[in-house]
Amino acid sequence: MTTATTTPTPTPPNPGLLFDEPALPLHRRILSSFRGPVGSISFTLAVTLLVGLVWIGPEFLSPSNIQIVGVSVAIPLIVGVMASFALLAGVVDLSIGSMVGFGAVVFNQLVAAGLNPWLVALITILVGAVVGLTNAFVIVRFGAEPLAVTLGMLTLLRGLCQVIVVNAPPSTLIEPLYNVTQGALLGFPTLLLIGIGVTLIAAGIVSKTRIGRKVQAVGGDDRAAARAGISVSKVRVIALVVSSVGAAIGGILYVGQLGSASNVLGTGLEFQIYAALMIGGYSITRGGVGNPIGGLLGLLVVAGITNILNITFIDPDYLDLIVAIILLVAVLVDRLRGGDAFE
Amino acid sequence: MTHSILTSRPALGRRFARLGLVGLAAASLTLAGCSTVGDSTGGSTDAADDGTFTLGFAVGGQPDADWQELQGDVAAGLAEQRGWDFVELSNDNSEATATKNADIFIQKGVDLVMMFNGQPSANPVIAKKYADAGIPVITFDIAQEGWYFVGVDNAAAGTEGGTALGELAKEKWDCQVDLVIEAEGTAAGQINTWRTGNAADAIGEVCPDIPAENYVKYEADGNLTTSLANAPGVFAAHPDAKNILVVGLNDQAVVGALQAATQLGRDGSIMGWGQDGGLITGANVDPNLVGSVMYFLEGYPSFAFEIADEIAAGNPPAVKDTGDDAAVSVKPCPVTQEQAAAIPGIDERVAELADAPAGTTAYDLFCKS
Repeated sequence: MTTATTTPTPTPPNPGLLFDEPALPLHRRILSSFRGPVGSISFTLAVTLLVGLVWIGPEFLSPSNIQIVGVSVAIPLIVGVMASFALLAGVVDLSIGSMVGFGAVVFNQLVAAGLNPWLVALITILVGAVVGLTNAFVIVRFGAEPLAVTLGMLTLLRGLCQVIVVNAPPSTLIEPLYNVTQGALLGFPTLLLIGIGVTLIAAGIVSKTRIGRKVQAVGGDDRAAARAGISVSKVRVIALVVSSVGAAIGGILYVGQLGSASNVLGTGLEFQIYAALMIGGYSITRGGVGNPIGGLLGLLVVAGITNILNITFIDPDYLDLIVAIILLVAVLVDRLRGGDAFE
Repeated sequence: MTHSILTSRPALGRRFARLGLVGLAAASLTLAGCSTVGDSTGGSTDAADDGTFTLGFAVGGQPDADWQELQGDVAAGLAEQRGWDFVELSNDNSEATATKNADIFIQKGVDLVMMFNGQPSANPVIAKKYADAGIPVITFDIAQEGWYFVGVDNAAAGTEGGTALGELAKEKWDCQVDLVIEAEGTAAGQINTWRTGNAADAIGEVCPDIPAENYVKYEADGNLTTSLANAPGVFAAHPDAKNILVVGLNDQAVVGALQAATQLGRDGSIMGWGQDGGLITGANVDPNLVGSVMYFLEGYPSFAFEIADEIAAGNPPAVKDTGDDAAVSVKPCPVTQEQAAAIPGIDERVAELADAPAGTTAYDLFCKS
């Protein structure tokens, strides 16, 4: 009797909905999107813009300043968006900074040796894929801890950079690549436009495709994902390869931007990127949460604050303090919100 | 139950918060829209607009190198003496940051840039940016085509350091030297050859009977940590060596070898002579660092301002951009540990230099050897 009165009446599933949510009007859906990490980081970005405009004036959003910010943020954005697939799949890849450096060194040295830049770019991407597969092999095949494995790869790749670049590295200014990485299209940094395009595609994959949902499912609960018939190993292998390939592409772009590659290029980049991704709603300990749009906004917030400090010529050492505070606040807000807003 | 919470009317406070957020975003976008229409040149060019000469200064930002920050302090003081505007950034030991800094200085509309870039691989790109913007650059210690080069006479520094150490070996050991260790920093290229190689050659000039096989090189990478890690292998490979001399790229490289000798109990008869003077003054000088060649790195801006004054006066001198043909060749100052003890610490030197009459250099004030 009791059972009969408390059993809920089954409702027919709506095939247009992902998580059995009722259809909301458009304005309600837009507003509700501000509840999650993207909302928090959008608010932070708006505040950053406002502070910049009040403190510096209209020059803060002048084309030349947007160019400076765009050029500096675009490569970390592309690397970060690609690395975010590994985060989503629940395997953090700490080797991305060193992979950026190693990719840059390989690309720079081979181009300087006279090989065709397109061919060398392909080789560099293949090197990135091999590094990603190596990480994946150890992590997935042997069940090793991703933090430990990718930390080892970080050290290995940095060591290789030191071995390869002993003397001053060669200069390889490749004009077309320089123009893409330092140039502007319709008054907007070309590379940032590319980065935003990559971000939107990644966001679409994550939120609108079965592949994206599989990646989130594996990161959220790998056992449940496996029970649902998802190949956890396959998803994580692909995610780690995508992460390393993204870093290799970042290395190529840095050579285009800087005209060379030293043996310290990319040092510490992984921490900058992951800090920005965490501010944007990702977690390095909990897969399945985060969205590339949040990553983009997180990087823009950090880049915006850096730029404010730079163009007011304030000691950039304060940047680390500010980023740390924002990161802590982001973590706290995430906790207060319940911590699983994307799940 | 969860459904009912999600779909219920939001609380009044939350609605206000959302409205505030949307309003803030809209205000930002409106301001952004306004600002991008007008000023297309950009930049906080307030200093340049009133005709005041503006100096952009990029410090190296390398770890364990206080002199780099102090170069900025000296330059700021000298700029203030002249009534110039002064803006400073740190290259943060990163070629990407150094490249971005160039964009910021160009946007700022500076009239001249001084810099030390410890990661010079991006210098060709940076040089292209400054050349396109028509901004002259003075570089410290690392040459770049088209930039005024201010640096120590590295070849002379190496020779003078080696000669002084050779003379000490002659005096104390009658040139009976079992091992000459060269703590190299090969990434520095020609500078390493001048400083380390010339020092070893000079020891050979003073003590010509030291066998060639007694000269041993290892990679110290110009920093104490690497030097300390790599030096033990050298001592292990020469277990019978007693009288040992050490030269190297800089003080850190040499002191790394000396500390390794101490840790291994091989410091009974060892002498090192450094380069750059970074570790020869202060309270904790290694007892086996018997001398160094001081460059007074913190005082480089005082040399650079000789060029800057001419540029500010509208008479830029011809660009001299190589170590062999430097715009200003800083004179090295070899000192023993005893002589170095009489030289003020780096902070005091900076203060004295700031108070000195225009044109005074650190060499004038402190090199008494």
